Amino acid sequence: MSALLLQLMNGLSYGVLLFIITSGITIVFGILGVLNLAHGSLYVLGSYIGYSLIMEAGLPFWVALMAVPILIAIIGLVLEIVMLRPTYKLGHLSQVLLTFGLAYIFHDIFSMMWGKNILVVNPPEALNVSVEIAGNAIPAYRLALIVIGIVMAVLLWYTQEKTKWGAVIRAGLSDKEMVGGLGVNIHFVFTCVFFLGSLMAGLGGVLGSPILGVFPGMEFQILILSLVVLVVGGLGSVTGTFIASLLVGFVETFSRYFVPELSLIITFALMALVLVARPQGLTGRRVA
Amino acid sequence: MKKGPVKGTLLFLLMVLVPFFLSIYYVNILSEILILSVFAVSLNILVGQTGLVSLGHAAFFGAGAYATGLAALKFSTNIFITIGIGLIFALLLALIIGLLSTKAHGFYFLMLTLACSQIFYSIVYQWTNVTGGSNGLSGIAPVDVFGGLRLSNQVFVYYFILVVIAILLFILSRFLHSPLGAVFIGIKENEERMKSIGYNTALYKNISFLIAGTIGGLAGGLYVIFNGFISPNDVYWTASGSVLIMVLIGGVGTLWGPVIGAAFIVILETIISSYTENWMMIIGAAFILFVIFAPNGIVGIFNNLKSTLFKRQKLEHETLKMIQMKQETKMDG
Amino acid sequence: MKNFKRNGSILILLVLLLSACSSGAINTSTSKEKTKGKTNDNSPIKIGALLPSTGVYASLGENLLNGMNLYFEEQNFEVAGKKIEIIHEDTEADPQVALRKLRKLTDQDQIDILTGPVSTAVAYAIRDEVDSKKLPFLDSHAGGNDLTRAKRSNYIYRSSFSSWQIGHSMGEWAYKNIGKKIYVTAADYAFGHEVAEAFKEAYTKAGGQIAGEVYPPLGNNDYSSYLGKMNQKGIDGIYAFYAGSDAVRFVQQYDQYGLKGKIPLIGSGWLTAEDTRPQQGTSPEGIKASIFWDYSLDTPENKAFVQAYEKKYNKRPSIESAEGYDAAMILAEAIKKLDGDVSDPNKLVETISSIEINSPRGPIKFDKETHNVIQNLYIVETGIVNGKTENKVIDTIPQVVDPGK
Repeated sequence: MSALLLQLMNGLSYGVLLFIITSGITIVFGILGVLNLAHGSLYVLGSYIGYSLIMEAGLPFWVALMAVPILIAIIGLVLEIVMLRPTYKLGHLSQVLLTFGLAYIFHDIFSMMWGKNILVVNPPEALNVSVEIAGNAIPAYRLALIVIGIVMAVLLWYTQEKTKWGAVIRAGLSDKEMVGGLGVNIHFVFTCVFFLGSLMAGLGGVLGSPILGVFPGMEFQILILSLVVLVVGGLGSVTGTFIASLLVGFVETFSRYFVPELSLIITFALMALVLVARPQGLTGRRVA
Repeated sequence: MKKGPVKGTLLFLLMVLVPFFLSIYYVNILSEILILSVFAVSLNILVGQTGLVSLGHAAFFGAGAYATGLAALKFSTNIFITIGIGLIFALLLALIIGLLSTKAHGFYFLMLTLACSQIFYSIVYQWTNVTGGSNGLSGIAPVDVFGGLRLSNQVFVYYFILVVIAILLFILSRFLHSPLGAVFIGIKENEERMKSIGYNTALYKNISFLIAGTIGGLAGGLYVIFNGFISPNDVYWTASGSVLIMVLIGGVGTLWGPVIGAAFIVILETIISSYTENWMMIIGAAFILFVIFAPNGIVGIFNNLKSTLFKRQKLEHETLKMIQMKQETKMDG
Repeated sequence: MKNFKRNGSILILLVLLLSACSSGAINTSTSKEKTKGKTNDNSPIKIGALLPSTGVYASLGENLLNGMNLYFEEQNFEVAGKKIEIIHEDTEADPQVALRKLRKLTDQDQIDILTGPVSTAVAYAIRDEVDSKKLPFLDSHAGGNDLTRAKRSNYIYRSSFSSWQIGHSMGEWAYKNIGKKIYVTAADYAFGHEVAEAFKEAYTKAGGQIAGEVYPPLGNNDYSSYLGKMNQKGIDGIYAFYAGSDAVRFVQQYDQYGLKGKIPLIGSGWLTAEDTRPQQGTSPEGIKASIFWDYSLDTPENKAFVQAYEKKYNKRPSIESAEGYDAAMILAEAIKKLDGDVSDPNKLVETISSIEINSPRGPIKFDKETHNVIQNLYIVETGIVNGKTENKVIDTIPQVVDPGK
């Protein structure tokens, strides 16, 4: 029984981390219609900068937690203005390809700046302990992660459902032209959404690095996972992404526990299943 | 005599004579380019002609390669039998994945092909007894063409591949202008309209998938004959991404575009990686430049040059080789 | 039609002209034997180094190259009066790329000897081509058993290790020194499985019992589920094979999930290597591992090597650095024995086969039949010295020979 409880906690913390990482790519795709294939790169950049701040400059964890997401968000902003805005007229496929080329460029920049070895970030001292729950030792950092993740989910949900800002975003998801016609500066909305998406990527980068580490090539692994969650959850809702993240988190954790040889296959089979049975995802709306 | 086939035959002659004045190193690079051209051309049928952007094409390459390799290791050394088995496997896989995927559109089609290809990758990686797992299949000996003619020399392999691709390109150029080819293009331009005319677009999409997958398997079979080796690396999604880049850079929707794209990428990778470790950055930058400034690929640049230089000349013969495609696909809207 | 005929004939004439004066593939490919035409002139001896400098094994490739360069620098890049030139090509640990680069090295650069690679998949991929081209190949890292068993070749020698040597040595030792019941875990790829198999074979033969086994995917980041499985009562230890980033995360999480101190952890030297320990904090304390070289080996050769390496590169040598250094030393000794004449590949491999040296890892020589290295395996234990982790050799298993089948 206690083993299962441990797996439950693991699945939960993994799923919550997935949520933080994926929320960024989901809102950008939902609203801008652009599948940002450099999203994994932004996450990794967040991890690397976090590493430099925490491990090299010796700054406290919470400082990095505040500073890095904003830094990444600004970088995302610059990217949107310089690369995406001028190319809206080229169509969505072109923009996807642009972000893909960008991911390649980022890859080499990371190697040049931070080298090729795997880097490890230490969690904050206070959380670098194990907590006893029902006979299992669970790292306190993971518990903290679960709490943070749920808080973020609630915040995002509240923003989307209850604020005017959220209403604009929800409307923009359904009908961009109409929103523009109503007098809202749709380009400004786009930029803000990209800012927010990059912010989440950076936040995920700092939060995830004590668990996942940082190393070259990681951005593509993260990207694939995000795509799985994106597909399963569907577009346009925080709730959907949250449920999907937890689902994928649990499926991965439990399949690794029970049938490790098949765990890779099961995750993608889940993705394929959802795509065939319910292409719009669990809670999303159809995107043409 | 029409200009298209003339150019093609001259090019073929040139390629036949290449081993006489280029060293074996360059002949081998050309062999690789030709094999990847077959791969890229097969993807182009899906992406360029039928408008289905797939990120799972490496699965068919892998199916053809592994099946051919296993056949060569266990059953026979006859090249037609081994590649034939490779083609059959690729066809079966294309049938399965195609039936699943063609129901989806745009982004979902992309993701579904990715997922299916990753499942195939995982099976190949895990099934160590059969596929050699992460170490791959190696030790695949040279095969025979007819009875005594053994492809033991790299130059012979080059000629075999050259003949195969020449035949393939010839058939495909005819196909582009056949009624079936036109249906594919129609589906890319406007699927709804095709449906309203009465075409069973799902069936045609499946056929397109089958053709593309089988030819992709052919590329895989040729690859194994050439290298004597195949590993799961070549079935990973980054391989699918790479061939997609080749098609897009070369010129999507054209006959020669994918060939040029394959040449471009192989030459870039081989030459640049000898000078710097940061070749990924260069390919990424090149890719971005192409997407922004040359969305119709190298072939597009070539066409633009031609039309500005020879503004008055009617480029009739171009239609034999190329059909201009719009950049829009199912991902818009 | 006229145009076609005219263009065609001009083309053919041109080509005949060109081929008459250049060395086309047709001219040179008809002869199977590659006559390099190397006489006793002063052309340098070219050593091809097929190593990854990008991708997941990049740091290992870098260390191997550092070790090689250090040795040859100590010889001023000159042996037996001939200059030594190392030509390094990046395999990206991708067999397809590696084959391409190998062809460049042999066809364009005309190397005399090949060394590298890191990945066993690459080694298997190039094996046939190396054998058919009669290219002397000294494998300086890739440890796949088959390379000196079923896939052995007259021209392939291995100075690094075989997976079997790593796992087997710990298997016997563990039964006597750890306990009678052990859980086995390794990364799910060929290397992981081979080492684990060798460990299980030796351990069960000595009388031990395997409590269970699990193989997480390579590159896995979350070991919590697997650690949960391993955390059983009544087992005497856990044997783990992980390397690189997997080793860093596994050892850390072993500590975080409370297994450290409760269940002894043993494994291969890559679990606690010089390039992974800095990232693991104090978590590796208490781990015992089997490996063929350690930083702490107290021999004059090793002390000299470590000192020279740290002076030149400003960091500690890793296992791969030592492998590169040894490979270079073996090649240099062979070249010296041949008086600098490497034109005959058969003589060259015969000479390599006869080399015995006192390397930083102790005395090593080659098995005449399998061409695999015969070397000492050491059991090292990680402890805390001055607040940092350090390894210490606690036992030696001398001159381990791979069975060859």
